Amino acid sequence: MNRRTALLLAAFASNILASGAALAGTVENLERERAIAIEALLSPNMDPAERQSSTEIARTRLVDLERMVLRDDGLRGRNTPAVRSAFENYDLSFLVHASIEKNRSLIDHWLEQVGVTTNSLMSARIGRR
Amino acid sequence: MMTRTLDRRTGRRPGLGIRVATCLLTLALLADATPSSAATEPRHGSWNPVASEKLIKLPGSYLKKAIENDFSNSGLAAALRDTEISMGLKSQTLADLQSAIDQADGELKVDLQHQFLAEKRDYLELVGQHQDLRREQMATKMRLYEKLLGKLSRDNAAMTPARQALVEKQDDAKRRFENSISKVDMKLFSTPMISESKYAVEYSKNVVAVERLVQAIKAHPMNAQSEINGRAVTKQEFLRQAVADTQAELAIVDQEETILGYMAKLIALDALALTEAVADGDGELADEKQTSNLASAVDYFIPQ
Repeated sequence: MNRRTALLLAAFASNILASGAALAGTVENLERERAIAIEALLSPNMDPAERQSSTEIARTRLVDLERMVLRDDGLRGRNTPAVRSAFENYDLSFLVHASIEKNRSLIDHWLEQVGVTTNSLMSARIGRR
Repeated sequence: MMTRTLDRRTGRRPGLGIRVATCLLTLALLADATPSSAATEPRHGSWNPVASEKLIKLPGSYLKKAIENDFSNSGLAAALRDTEISMGLKSQTLADLQSAIDQADGELKVDLQHQFLAEKRDYLELVGQHQDLRREQMATKMRLYEKLLGKLSRDNAAMTPARQALVEKQDDAKRRFENSISKVDMKLFSTPMISESKYAVEYSKNVVAVERLVQAIKAHPMNAQSEINGRAVTKQEFLRQAVADTQAELAIVDQEETILGYMAKLIALDALALTEAVADGDGELADEKQTSNLASAVDYFIPQ
């Protein structure tokens, strides 16, 4: 093996290692997309049409990502904080599936899961803390 | 062996002193030869199997075959085979000698009986070697099974309560997902506005292929679950049974060692009996000679 070939192989190996290290797992991808979707749902800078369009796109993407996580056998028993957190609350982690299962809109389902309901809002009082 | 026997048969008969000495030497050798030993160093290569992860993952039936195959390629197996061949030949020699003794008579018979005893002693030594090799095989096999069992137990022990809880939650999540997937699909993709994603299309295509492969793997004879008496058992149970079986084989070898001890004792007694018989025969001749000498000397004491 000449020197040039050795250098090429070394570069190739380092590329593989670098790309491997940068790869995020299915859980991390889901968390990122879910955070973006919730941000879009709560954003005060969007008009309703814009929010609707953004939510539709996010929902389609989230459906796939949620399924990838649920079907990922590599996550079984992997006791890391990210995986533990993902499976701690199905309704929050797998937002799209859980919301459709319960016949709710995405935002209603999420608000309910974080403890904000119509009743709780109606019974809220403005006051000084 | 037979050639040696015939040569001895046709050779000059050793004198009384030599024969008695040989018998006593035989006796002494047998007294030293304890059955375990036949305290001879096993002339063998070795068998050093490795309890690898690859071995643990094999199905039970194939695991045993793999271990047997590994053993049959080892130096220990070669030594065992050699000893078995030698035992077979020695056994043949013993049969030949026994039939020759039945046909022989007089001094030749005594000579053959002596040789028969010597050959029996050699045979016992070979059996002792064979037992040592078998014991080594069984002990190595048992160590291997115990190592595999230990590794398997460590893998199971790695399932901590926290991990166990996570797995349960994952299973719950999967069940809930499987129960709701058709409803989700119907709701999401019933409108022509939204089409299935590339992932969903490719996944459903692949899932059929995966199912077929899984079925083929399940039906594969080499993937059959370990069984004991026709009952499916876990890998751990299978290994524990294998350890017990090997332990039983070791116990049998130990029992055979006792038999070997009794056989050695019997040969020693035979050698003693032969020595006595030879000594008695020669003693009678000497007594006769002495009596005749005395009788002939009587004349010297009677006045003419």
